[in-house]
Amino acid sequence: MNGLGRILIVEDDPRDVELTLTALEEYNLANEVVVTRDGAEALDYLYCRGEYSSRSDDNPAVTLLDLKLPKVDGLEVLQQIRSDERLKMIPVVVLTSSHEEKDMIRSYQLGVNAYVVKPVDFHEFVNAVKELGVFWAVINQPPPGSIKKAS
Amino acid sequence: MMIDHGEGPAGVRVRRALARSNLESQRIGPGTLRYGLSVVSVAIALGLALTSQYYQFRDVGVPVFALSIALTTWYAGTGPSVLAILLSTACFDYFFTEPLYSFSVSSSDLPYFFVFVAWGIIVGSFSAVRRRIEDSLRQARDHLRVELEQRKQREDEIRKLNQELANQAAELEASNKDLESFAYSVSHDLRAPLRHVVGYSELLQRQASSLLDEKSGRYLQTILEAAKRMGNLIDDLLAFSRIGRAETRKAAVNLEQLVREVVAELGQETSGRDIAWNIGTLPVCYGDRSMLKVVLMNLVSNAVKFTRMRAPAEIEIGSTDIKENEVEVFVRDNGAGFDMQYANKLFGVFQRLHRSEEFEGTGIGLATAQRIVHRHGGKIRAEGAVGQGATFYFSLPQAQYAAERSANTR
Repeated sequence: MNGLGRILIVEDDPRDVELTLTALEEYNLANEVVVTRDGAEALDYLYCRGEYSSRSDDNPAVTLLDLKLPKVDGLEVLQQIRSDERLKMIPVVVLTSSHEEKDMIRSYQLGVNAYVVKPVDFHEFVNAVKELGVFWAVINQPPPGSIKKAS
Repeated sequence: MMIDHGEGPAGVRVRRALARSNLESQRIGPGTLRYGLSVVSVAIALGLALTSQYYQFRDVGVPVFALSIALTTWYAGTGPSVLAILLSTACFDYFFTEPLYSFSVSSSDLPYFFVFVAWGIIVGSFSAVRRRIEDSLRQARDHLRVELEQRKQREDEIRKLNQELANQAAELEASNKDLESFAYSVSHDLRAPLRHVVGYSELLQRQASSLLDEKSGRYLQTILEAAKRMGNLIDDLLAFSRIGRAETRKAAVNLEQLVREVVAELGQETSGRDIAWNIGTLPVCYGDRSMLKVVLMNLVSNAVKFTRMRAPAEIEIGSTDIKENEVEVFVRDNGAGFDMQYANKLFGVFQRLHRSEEFEGTGIGLATAQRIVHRHGGKIRAEGAVGQGATFYFSLPQAQYAAERSANTR
C-alpha cells in the first residue's frame, strides 16, 4: 500500500455524514476526507471554485456520492463529472438509500464505478463504508492527478 | 356502462315516423280524392280519345285509356285502379265499339272489346306490380335509413366509451406515477431515518454498554431489533410494490429446473435438517422466470420454515393436470398447517397466522406470490389443517397453449 487517497463525500444528511465518518475513523481512513453537503458544493470543490478556489487542483481518489441531494442531485453531479475532460477519470461510487432499479441503471449508464445501497444494519453499514474506503483510498491505484498522501 | 345492442327509444321513434310517412306516400290524400283522380283521369282520357276521333286519328282510344288506368294505379292505388278499368271499359264500350253510343257490344266487336279489357287489366296489374316493387324499395330504403341512424348512435356511444377509456387510462397512468414516486420516496426517505436509529443505537450500545444496567441494555437491544424489523418490512413492501409495477418478460419456463434451483438455494436453511424432498415431474409453463422463482422460493421456504419441528419433514412438490391449457403446481408439507377458516387471510399483505415468536417473517411472501400468479393470469389457493401440514396450489398457462395464443394474436 502506497498512501491514502483523498475521499470526497457528497452527502446532505448530517447524521449520515457522522455515521460515515465514524465508520471511516474506526479504520483510520478519515484523515483525508472532504465532506460537501450538496451537489453544487461538490462541483465547487471539483472545479476549485468558491470557497475551494484556493485548494490545490488535484482530484479526489474517490467520490462517495449520494443521489438525493439539494440543489444539484447526485446523477447530475455524476453526469457533470463524466462529461468533463479533466474530471471524467475520477472514480465515483454511488452510496445511496435507493433500492430503485432505475437509479441504478441510470447511474451505470452515466458511468459510475460502483453502486452501493446503504444497509440499514449499522454493522453492515460500517463494513460497507470500511471496505469502500480501504479499496478506493488505499488498494486502488487512482488515475494520475489524484491527491494521495504518502503513508 | 352498457351498450344498447337493441333499438334505443330514439330508433323506435325514427322507425315509426318513417312508417307513417310511408303510408301517406302510398295513397295521396283521403279516399274521395283518390277515386276522384280515377274518374278525372278516365274523363280526360275520354276527352282526348273523342277529340282525336273528331280529328280523324284512328285507334287512339285503347292507349289513352290504358294510360289513364296506369296513371290511376300508379298514384291512387288498387281500388281506384279497378274503378278506372271499369269506367274506361264502359266509356270504350259506349263511345268506341259498335254499336256506338250504347253499352251493348256487337258480336263482331266482341274480340276488340275483350282485347281492350285485357289490355286495361294488364296495364293495371303491371303498374300495381311496379308500385309494389317501389314500395318495397322504399321500405328497404327506410330500413337502411333507420339502420344508419342506429349505427351512427352506436358509433357515438363507442366514441364516448373510448373517450372514457382514454380518460381512465390517463388517470390510471397518473395514479401509477403517484405510486411510483411514493415508492421512490419510501425507498429513499423512509430508510434513512431508520438507518440512523439503528446506527446511533449501536453507537450508544458500544459507547455506554459499561454504564447501562441489564434492563437498559435490553431496551436498547429492542430498539435495534424493532428498527431492523421495520427495515425488513419496508424492503418487503417495496419489493411487493415493484412486482406490481415491473414489466413481465415471459418465456417458456422449465418449472422442474426452477424448483431444483430454489431447493439448492435454500441449502443454508435446510442444512442440519431432516427433510424428505419429493419432487415430481413438473411441466413447462409460460411466464416470467425470475418472478416465478420468487413464487416457488416463497412457497418452498415457507414449507421449510413451517416443518421446523418435524423430523423427518416431508416436502412434496408436484403438478396436477387440471385443464388442457393450464398447469397446476403444488407444494405440500407436513408442517404446522393452518385453520381453513383463515384461508382467505393467508394471502393478505402483512397477514400472519402464527405468532412471530413461533415463526419469523414479515407476512408478505404469500401476498407477493399471489400477486405474481395473478399477473400471470393464474390462481393460487391453499389447503391445510392445524398440525397436519399445508398444500399450496398455483396454476399458470401452459407453455404450448400460451405460445399458440400469442401466435394467433400476432
